[in-house]
Amino acid sequence: MDLLTLARGPILQWALVIFVVGTVWRLAGILLLRRKPDYTEPRSTHTWRGAANLIVKRTVPKREFAAQTAFGNTIGYVFHIGLAVVVFGFVPHILFIKSLTGLSWPGLPSGIVYVVGALTVAALVAALVRRISNPVMRLISNADDYFSWAVTIAPVITGLMAAAHWGGPYPTILAIHVLSVCLLLAWLPFGKLMHAFLVFIARGTTGALFARKGAST
Amino acid sequence: MSATVVNDPVGGVARGVPRPDLRQDMQGEMPAQERVDIAMRHFVRDFGAVAATYMESCVHCGMCAEACHFYVQTGDPKYTPIWKIEPFKQAYKREAGPFALFMRALGLKRKVTIEELQEWQELIYDSCTMCGRCTLICPMGIDIAALVSLARHGMHKAGLVPHELWAAAERGEREGSPLGATPKVLKERIEWIADEDDVDIHLDKEHADVLVTMSSIEIQKYPQAMAAVAKVLNHLGMSWTIRSDGYEATNFGLLSGNADWQRDMSMKMIKAAIACKAKLLLLPECGHAYTAMRWQGANVYGQPLPFKVRHISEFLGEHITDGSLRLKKGLNKTVTFHDPCQVARRGGVFEAPRVVLAALGAEVHEMKDNRSMNWCCGGGGGVISIHRADAIRYKAFEIKMRQVEDTGAEMLVTSCSNCRLSFDDSQAHFHWDKTAHSLLEAVADNLDDTPPARSVAPAAIVNPYREAPAP
Amino acid sequence: MDREPTILESFQQQGMSRRSFLKFCAAAASLLALPAARAAELAEKLGAMPRPTVIYLSFQECTGCLESLTRSFSPTIEHLIFDTISLAYNDTLQAAAGEAAEAAREEAMRKAWGKYVLVVDGSIPAPLDGAYCVIGGKSALASVQEVAKGAAAVIAVGTCAAFGGLPMAAPNPTGAVAVQDLIKNKPLINISGCPPIPEIITGTIVYFLTFGVPELDAHRRPKVFYGNTIHDRCYRRPFYDKGLFAKTFDDAGARNGWCLYELGCKGPTTYNSCATMKWNGGTSFPIESGHGCLGCSEPQFWDRGDFYKPLSAGLWHGSIGEDLGIAAVAGAVLGGAAALTARHRQDKTRTETETRKPEGK
Repeated sequence: MDLLTLARGPILQWALVIFVVGTVWRLAGILLLRRKPDYTEPRSTHTWRGAANLIVKRTVPKREFAAQTAFGNTIGYVFHIGLAVVVFGFVPHILFIKSLTGLSWPGLPSGIVYVVGALTVAALVAALVRRISNPVMRLISNADDYFSWAVTIAPVITGLMAAAHWGGPYPTILAIHVLSVCLLLAWLPFGKLMHAFLVFIARGTTGALFARKGAST
Repeated sequence: MSATVVNDPVGGVARGVPRPDLRQDMQGEMPAQERVDIAMRHFVRDFGAVAATYMESCVHCGMCAEACHFYVQTGDPKYTPIWKIEPFKQAYKREAGPFALFMRALGLKRKVTIEELQEWQELIYDSCTMCGRCTLICPMGIDIAALVSLARHGMHKAGLVPHELWAAAERGEREGSPLGATPKVLKERIEWIADEDDVDIHLDKEHADVLVTMSSIEIQKYPQAMAAVAKVLNHLGMSWTIRSDGYEATNFGLLSGNADWQRDMSMKMIKAAIACKAKLLLLPECGHAYTAMRWQGANVYGQPLPFKVRHISEFLGEHITDGSLRLKKGLNKTVTFHDPCQVARRGGVFEAPRVVLAALGAEVHEMKDNRSMNWCCGGGGGVISIHRADAIRYKAFEIKMRQVEDTGAEMLVTSCSNCRLSFDDSQAHFHWDKTAHSLLEAVADNLDDTPPARSVAPAAIVNPYREAPAP
Repeated sequence: MDREPTILESFQQQGMSRRSFLKFCAAAASLLALPAARAAELAEKLGAMPRPTVIYLSFQECTGCLESLTRSFSPTIEHLIFDTISLAYNDTLQAAAGEAAEAAREEAMRKAWGKYVLVVDGSIPAPLDGAYCVIGGKSALASVQEVAKGAAAVIAVGTCAAFGGLPMAAPNPTGAVAVQDLIKNKPLINISGCPPIPEIITGTIVYFLTFGVPELDAHRRPKVFYGNTIHDRCYRRPFYDKGLFAKTFDDAGARNGWCLYELGCKGPTTYNSCATMKWNGGTSFPIESGHGCLGCSEPQFWDRGDFYKPLSAGLWHGSIGEDLGIAAVAGAVLGGAAALTARHRQDKTRTETETRKPEGK
């Protein structure tokens, strides 16, 4: 079997299996820990509303913090939105999702996706530079941060390489692109990339708990 | 029970913060590795789904540093809030994380050393007031303050608590008050202040609607608070009492990280309130007392409390709003209000003190960062008690000082005696001209004893605590 | 002088002018995209050389490649086989049959030993000493090895000869292999395609005769013909870039000539000249006639998943949904076990604490 067929076939299938096992494992491992009943008199019982509220609201930094976090937030916005556009806007990607889930939606012109992809790479590189150069980030960073960064940027770079026919025969680069996605899928549940799911749980938890106390978030 | 204080000169000097008093404290005797193990295991002992969610979600974006007064004022990355629990991440991953089995079987964890834990003592105790400002900046919504609180559980079990804090907590457990306000002292102080201020202070009544609790800081340093609360409650005509079997609201068990001591302190008040059939447990002007009793008390008790728990500022606000507490507009000046972190940001009481100030006729000039965004005084979470933290606490206080100055207000008011203690100490240090005044005392000084005007509808002044039969 | 006539001479013997020979050369040169100087060189060299001997062996194949070759427009097959080369053996085209044919081959081999060109069409079954394909009592395996020994070069025509092709498709019952898997010590050119574009076959032979082995890609195909993907040269490419795709073979998109990617076109991963040279004298090519590229010039094209699934779709084995369902259950079990273990360890710590009464208590 050639590399591309192998990548699109068994390797991708296994990567997805690992992704699902790992994700459910980690979520269950967290959520099935003890949850102590809270007997205190609630100030508000709209805890679900508080959870939903914070999930949405924390997407935008608070005014008081906007200035200090502008750089990091801008980078973060660019590559998160960029990744979303590339993953969910590029027609071949939509067709992949369709082959997996049956769902599809209209795609974007390739040119736009390429430009967004390039911006995403630029933002991710800026994020790495910041991680290395900012004393706080350098101190708190660990191997997971750097590995997850590499695993995230790899599909974007290989995807752009494939689109540009750069670095080797197209099927080989495409295969490497698919393999990099497999690596991303297989790694996602085990490192910080899991925040793709946990962000909702963490924000929701704080949102609910604080709403109960009437404390503002 | 004796404790050993180990003076250890190891440790760095924070940038811009001279630290004349470098030392790491240890309590008890045990081998280093055992200390580490105990710290790690007890950190996760009380871990539930919530703490685990927080522990798992950090993306190391570093933004929390920008919310922390200790980092902002020193620029030292070690004061990044999430970094303060770094060694405990290892513990969590090894003991309670979803992949803990692998972590243990394959040894996939960084070995935490006793030296590291000693180093982290400063980060977990001296440089965290658990003010929770970082919670509001975290893009993941992680409540880092809650994790620091759990880390303190581990540190306490391992005997790695700054000595003053440990001693205060231990004294609280042993004598009933961390600052020496024993029942005997309490009685003496009440007798004296009642006489001094010519006010009836009800002590140890068998039955009362309201159980008034005190902060030992008030008993020892701000005794006027006792007279003030008595005047207000007498003005409202309530049935109330202070009970010598449950008066101490400060909870150094909570601050030092000893869950057992925290429970013992809380249970005294809960039992006293039940004993006198109180409908309301009134908490003093104290921040962490609010967290301990209002938001953890029922859980310590293991079921809903048969009475309500209110902070004094909430109580005052409620009674001003319902018209039962009538005040003279005697505070005829510009005032700024310092929100105590545990009552406001983490407790949910924002508007009540402002209602009170308005009723007193004050013109409130808010600080640039107010309500949930307020900056901590720097002394919360037990930090005020740790001498070696003085330098960094003063450094953090500079933010507060600037913000107060910027309001141009003539008077500074707060509703937490621990904040007041911190303000007083820093005021002396900086030779500052602003003093933090008590909201309660301002109310007590401006009670309007003239009979209410006829136009006030009787329904509006119904006092929910008067419904019970008089004892 | 008993010498072989040159190619130009044999053109003239056939009653054709030097002018028509030059036209043949010009056609070949333009096909090969040669610069003007090289085109002149091609005419000069080709005109002066004797007609080389070519032995054309067919094995596991469908004769489609030869059918294609006979439809070469320019240079034409007639020019090629009557004037340019001396086709000593081709079991389909030659008049001789049976033992006479084999004798002719042996004679040609002997006479041009070390100089003739071997063209192979079809794959070769390797197991059991090549027992699955035997011609005149001689296995394909033995034939190809024997003929290759005296060849100056080997040209594998068609995807079967080049990469194993359909006979090699899973489960490859005959154990078919490509020529390049057997012949390791000779210059070898692959001209893949199912079938290859006829002009590529003739053009490559002409080029080889004149200049030797052309520049090859990783699959040993002439880069001049296999340097670009179909997708890159496809006239429908602008629709791909704009995100306009036909969703079915008879929708408005299909009628408007939009990109066939969603219908499984393999143009992006297929290297060939169909989009530029087209077929039947430049008339059309599959995508132009409304069907996606099958990728026939690529190794294992038959086994690379559904022809009608987009290139980016996963090639699922069995039911991916079922697999992921099982994965989710397994994850839940593992996560649940992890949580229970953690709870148990917490309880143990709690019990120890209560019995031991820690320091400071």
